Amino acid sequence: MSPARTLYLSNPSRAARPRPEPGRERFWWYFMRISGLVLIVLVLGHMFIMHVLVQLTGQEINFAFVSSRWGSPFWRIYDFLLLLLAMVHGVNGARIVIGDYVTHKPIRAGLIGLLMATAVIWLLAGMIVIITFNPATAPAVGPFS
Amino acid sequence: MSIGQKWRLSAREMFGYQISWAQLAWMGHRLSGIGVIVFLFAHVVETATVALGPDVYDFTQGFYHNLPARLGEILLMSAVVYHSLNGLRVIVMDFWPRTTIYYRPLTYGVIAATVLAMIPIGLIMITPYAPWGPA
Repeated sequence: MSPARTLYLSNPSRAARPRPEPGRERFWWYFMRISGLVLIVLVLGHMFIMHVLVQLTGQEINFAFVSSRWGSPFWRIYDFLLLLLAMVHGVNGARIVIGDYVTHKPIRAGLIGLLMATAVIWLLAGMIVIITFNPATAPAVGPFS
Repeated sequence: MSIGQKWRLSAREMFGYQISWAQLAWMGHRLSGIGVIVFLFAHVVETATVALGPDVYDFTQGFYHNLPARLGEILLMSAVVYHSLNGLRVIVMDFWPRTTIYYRPLTYGVIAATVLAMIPIGLIMITPYAPWGPA
């Protein structure tokens, strides 16, 4: 088999990186594909409800909408999984993109560190809001009005 | 090349070499992915304001109630649909390497399916700002 054909078969999709050697990077290679499959259902479902069904049924996304939606544990768990998987899948993708374009080691490490730190804060904040949200105790009048 | 000499740029002139659909599909996957993750960071902040009560949340939702935001949402939807379908193609070809011989039709299929899906979705999403929408 020619070297070109071997390389071609090692990366059949030609849209992503070849499957890495066993180890951490191989885990992430599988994670992107498996979480991607789950996210197709979760993200397209979420966007179909929020942008197509809401439009067709003449509803509006506001505080009352979210309160009634998160009144059901099903949608809280759905949104929790969506946040977790989308954030990890997206941040890992961004990490790989940074790794492809930023070759200067300290700058690359700094950017990826910043990305990870931001992602952890955002993920925790989002999870806390989804878990603890309670319309009964939310302030009726906002701090800015 | 002076203006007026030639109005249409070929792929070779734009990129310096003959770019292929493989590269465009890959670039589209990357650009749509980066676009979606940037939006996700903003979306988490905007949704988290629901904890501050109806006053604040209904105010932040107002950011979306204009035509440029709606066009952005349609672009976001296109990015997600393309990234999903192209990602599915990547998964199929990575786990069943024999499908690689259908690489070209699968790539064209992903692009065609994205455009086809976005016609009804785009029309529904633009309704509030369209002539046929509510007055």
